[in-house]
Amino acid sequence: MVDAGRVQAIEVTINGEKYERTVESRQLLVHFLRDTLGMKGTHIGCDTGSCGACTVIVDGRLTKSCMMLAPQADGAQIETIEGVSADGELSPVQAAFRQEHGLQCGYCTPGMVMAATYLLRRNPHPSEQEIRRAIRGNICRCTGYVNIVKSIAAAAGGAEAREAE
Amino acid sequence: MLLETVAYARPDSVAEALEALASSDGAAPLAGGQSLVNVLKHRVASLELLVDISRLEELRQIEPLEGGALEIGACVTYDELEHSETVRSAQPLLAEVAGHIEDQQIRCRGTIGGNCCLSDPTNNLPPLLVALEATMVIESRHGRREVPAREFFHGYFATEVGEGELLRSVRIPPLGAGAGAGYSTVAVGADSKAIARAAAVVGVKDGRIEAARVVLACVAPAPLRHAGMEEALRGAPATEEAVRQATERIGEDLEPMGDVHGSGEYRREMARVVARRAVLQAIGNGGSQRG
Repeated sequence: MVDAGRVQAIEVTINGEKYERTVESRQLLVHFLRDTLGMKGTHIGCDTGSCGACTVIVDGRLTKSCMMLAPQADGAQIETIEGVSADGELSPVQAAFRQEHGLQCGYCTPGMVMAATYLLRRNPHPSEQEIRRAIRGNICRCTGYVNIVKSIAAAAGGAEAREAE
Repeated sequence: MLLETVAYARPDSVAEALEALASSDGAAPLAGGQSLVNVLKHRVASLELLVDISRLEELRQIEPLEGGALEIGACVTYDELEHSETVRSAQPLLAEVAGHIEDQQIRCRGTIGGNCCLSDPTNNLPPLLVALEATMVIESRHGRREVPAREFFHGYFATEVGEGELLRSVRIPPLGAGAGAGYSTVAVGADSKAIARAAAVVGVKDGRIEAARVVLACVAPAPLRHAGMEEALRGAPATEEAVRQATERIGEDLEPMGDVHGSGEYRREMARVVARRAVLQAIGNGGSQRG
């Protein structure tokens, strides 16, 4: 029988750690991350799926977490900005954003980093056009796209350089 | 933004989902949610129960059928359409179109079924599926029925899918020998909301157009096969000039709505442009597939 309810017990794995909570069925995943779990790295820019600041990776799919209900994530493996760097070391994408000044106010950065991380996993050597298409769903309110694209290209180049070593 | 209180269920089978949908007037299927979640945030619709069908394996298959047809489950995402080798070889244009829907995040979650069932006149897939003469497989507790894509889209946010029913899959027949498909959009920005759109399937033999299906979108409440242009193309030489002339048949018969992105008149002009481009692309694709 289908178990339908206005509250749901869910279990999600975020950045490798398991969380079990009971949530309202209507709760958005982004509110679950930020308010229920206190993981404020994922930002809310527009709340309508337009800006991409809330982008996370859910079961390998790049996802705007304001466009998904928390119960939909039940059983999922989620990666957020908090899990991108390992052991206090910046990830290649993060390091490249710092090196290339890929952020101004920083508000869009968590979403940009997630979108770039997703891109480089799928396509380690993207062209500039592929990079631009990959961040099509992420708005930078400072319009600092040139350096963001540069940062992602540098992260890709960096990965290549490390492979060559 | 907070949604209104709503119940959520995630059934384990299509049969259970249909039971859940039939259990309440306020029940609706939730697939990718890339439109529905916003609709609920804005409280445009009020629902009692969301039936999450997005994980049902039965709805997530891409199956090649005998003779080159494809059966695509309603919950296959745009990203899966774009990258599926099966889709890319059987219907390369479908893969390409799916790969240009909005952005990566939406493509990772939005589904072919959702794109069709929302029936927003600016949506990408409906005109293409009408041009490809797809069949829509609809299921309810009482069984399955099949509806041609051409009859599926009733108008603004209305389709053939009735209460207690679910779109199960979309079946796409192979293009005929020598036929090719084309698609063209004038949009607000790259991969953005469409102002005018056309899809076409054209068969060419010995340099002449044998048959053509031309479907216009964004200019009427539902995808529109343009009989006048199709008639003008039939028997015409497969040349740019002949195709341009045929687009002149698109005229006063269309009364597109105007909005902030373009007046009705502008949309009608752009319908001629995208129709020409789609037909020329179809002619080009047919040639290359034959060769």
